[in-house]
Amino acid sequence: MPNGYAGAILLVDLTNRTTDELKVDETLLKDFIGGSSLAARLLLDRFKLDADPLSGDNPLMIMTGPMVASGFPGTSRFSICARAPQTGIWGESACGGTFGPELKRAGYDGIIVTGVSSSPVYLSVVDGKAGIHDAKHLWGKDIYETTDELKAKDGGLKVLAIGQAGENLVKIAAIGNDKGHFSGRTGLGAVMGSKRLKAIVARGKGRPAKADEERFKEVMKKALAEVKDSALAEGLHLMGSDANMELGMIKGDVPIKNWTVGEAFDLASNLSGPTMREKYLTKEHACANCPVACKRVVKVADGPYRTEEGPGPEYETCATFGTMLMNDDLAAVIKANELCNRYGMDTISCGSAIALAMELYEKGIVTPSDTGGLELTWGNMDAVMPLIKNIAFREGFGDILAEGTLGAARRIGRGAEDMVAHVKGLEAPMHDPRGFHGMGLAYMMSNRGACHLQHAVLATEQGMASWPELFDMEDDYVGTTSEGKAMLVFNSENYGILCNSLSICHYVVYILRPETVLEAFNAVTGFGLGKDDLLKAGMRDWTLKRGINNLLGISRKDDVLPKRILTALSEGAAAGSVPDMDLLLKEYYALRGLDERGFPKPEKLDELGLKELKRRLYQ
Amino acid sequence: MGKIKAMTQEWMDAYKAAIEADPEYKEIAKNWEGSVALIVNPDPDKGVPEPVYLFMDYWHGDVGEFVVCDKAKAESAKFVMTGDYARWKQVALKELDSTKALLQGKLKMKGDLPYVVRNIKVVNKVIDILGRVDTLWPDEA
Repeated sequence: MPNGYAGAILLVDLTNRTTDELKVDETLLKDFIGGSSLAARLLLDRFKLDADPLSGDNPLMIMTGPMVASGFPGTSRFSICARAPQTGIWGESACGGTFGPELKRAGYDGIIVTGVSSSPVYLSVVDGKAGIHDAKHLWGKDIYETTDELKAKDGGLKVLAIGQAGENLVKIAAIGNDKGHFSGRTGLGAVMGSKRLKAIVARGKGRPAKADEERFKEVMKKALAEVKDSALAEGLHLMGSDANMELGMIKGDVPIKNWTVGEAFDLASNLSGPTMREKYLTKEHACANCPVACKRVVKVADGPYRTEEGPGPEYETCATFGTMLMNDDLAAVIKANELCNRYGMDTISCGSAIALAMELYEKGIVTPSDTGGLELTWGNMDAVMPLIKNIAFREGFGDILAEGTLGAARRIGRGAEDMVAHVKGLEAPMHDPRGFHGMGLAYMMSNRGACHLQHAVLATEQGMASWPELFDMEDDYVGTTSEGKAMLVFNSENYGILCNSLSICHYVVYILRPETVLEAFNAVTGFGLGKDDLLKAGMRDWTLKRGINNLLGISRKDDVLPKRILTALSEGAAAGSVPDMDLLLKEYYALRGLDERGFPKPEKLDELGLKELKRRLYQ
Repeated sequence: MGKIKAMTQEWMDAYKAAIEADPEYKEIAKNWEGSVALIVNPDPDKGVPEPVYLFMDYWHGDVGEFVVCDKAKAESAKFVMTGDYARWKQVALKELDSTKALLQGKLKMKGDLPYVVRNIKVVNKVIDILGRVDTLWPDEA
């Protein structure tokens, strides 16, 4: 088997309760590497692209990459992929934690699940053996309860589970690993729920071989020294991803009051990483093999939002349940995060849906008679907590919000759709394109919809990282301009996409020098790929997923920012600024080799070796 | 009044005076406690033959000692920031964002990072004021 890989993908058919193995050709691995890239290729080759997202024909693909279980910093990741219930297009969501490395050690690079079980089941993958087990006793339980119960049998198991939201086919349902790590975006928890697959557990003792152990040890030393020397790493360790809250507020990055207000520094201050550290942090926590340890463990000791000690919120959650709702109580954010974790819902989507509901309530479009008496005034977190549960259980008004923010707006009508910040049906994460125009282009062109993690634009445009020697990029960028941003996004995508193929954390990639990552990749795999090969792999990934989306109906008309984001703010660092969509798209389309319909041109598909995609698009 | 040579005591005095004269500084910095030292790495080609140590004392909106100092005093500050002369000049001229410089490793800092993040408005304010000091830079002299 190729170095760095376990050598097989586990195929599970839940309808027939059978398992099999798929061996992946090394040439395919060199071209697509792993993670969501390999998943996209396998989807195109082996499955029905346009299957209903909640049908047995829609494969749920859980994929690692070659760096996973190598011990290299940040390589705990795995990607979960499927046609997305929330958007109807390509869906993927990467996750850190413990499951990825354990799956590799258990003998598999990935798992592809098809079919629908006649009753709830969970899947075990232990030292090369797969089993399908009854899970009726787990159905109806939340992610924390499910995880605890499965670990009670064997504490060494790493658990991937859905909560009630996934069971109830909520379109913003997430999948949780060991309680504190989530594949949140695009509603893949509902795909798992539709298959009546409550959980997957993994445990293994294997160690995927490395091509050059000595070279790997040397590059490990280099990587650890780079982490130790990094202020970004120090900041993430001390303050978590929420270190960005105050800095972002000053720079016009943080959405406020459902994207309608430009600056609220005191609000940000109460919700920030330093505040979490001072008031609620009990300890830092790390994903497997991570020296940064950006994860938070928190406890709200008393008050109405009291919690047990448990996983704390990320920046995105502090914004969606904080600034977006005009809530300055970090304890309430921590409680909302815990509820979303337990029920298994994406905090970006859930908080965004509630922000829309609050705006509609303020405008009188939604009234207490719609909400079951919940007073959805700005900042009223006492109403938010039961609403989160209502969404997870599809009860009352929650059933509408369970469709996702755009889905809910379409059901409500009366202009609600204009209040949703989304691209292709996926809510924009908490980085405002009015402050950073490159992010606007990245949202428009990310293959899963508005996304901050399918590329490295967050790092390069905001200055967390600067790689001018690697790419055709400037050393420094001004956020509120669209000029030069197409090239920035193009390059940052090609490199950032690799994070999800290699299954390495974005933050670690921002911290490490690109040549260190490349050297480690080659030490593990022995592929001997150069920088240009890897960037081409990034281009191939983007183009393949774009083509899949084209086959699912996506075209130029869908590459747009919503009215809410194209409405200028009147205060803050981004006041008066909106991305120039026409300029950005014109330049970007040329770089990507897209035609006027938004399809990859035949010559681009030839250049990237995507023959089957070309046949499907142009037959 | 002509330009003042950068990183001299006269320049430090002018910087201190500019901060004291700023109408917003006192309110923005009312919670800030602690001294800051800037260490400028030598760059003989740019007219900086030796390292330069600058010590600035800030306390609840007031400014205290602002001096060119020795290494030991600089290293005694609550926050110590180190960087090459060219980087410092870029920061002073607002050609380089200090936060970006820190995150990218172009400047190094010893001290309580969450405290600095918490008080990022103070940091931005004093840099903004520094840009107002009419400065003669060593490589332009």
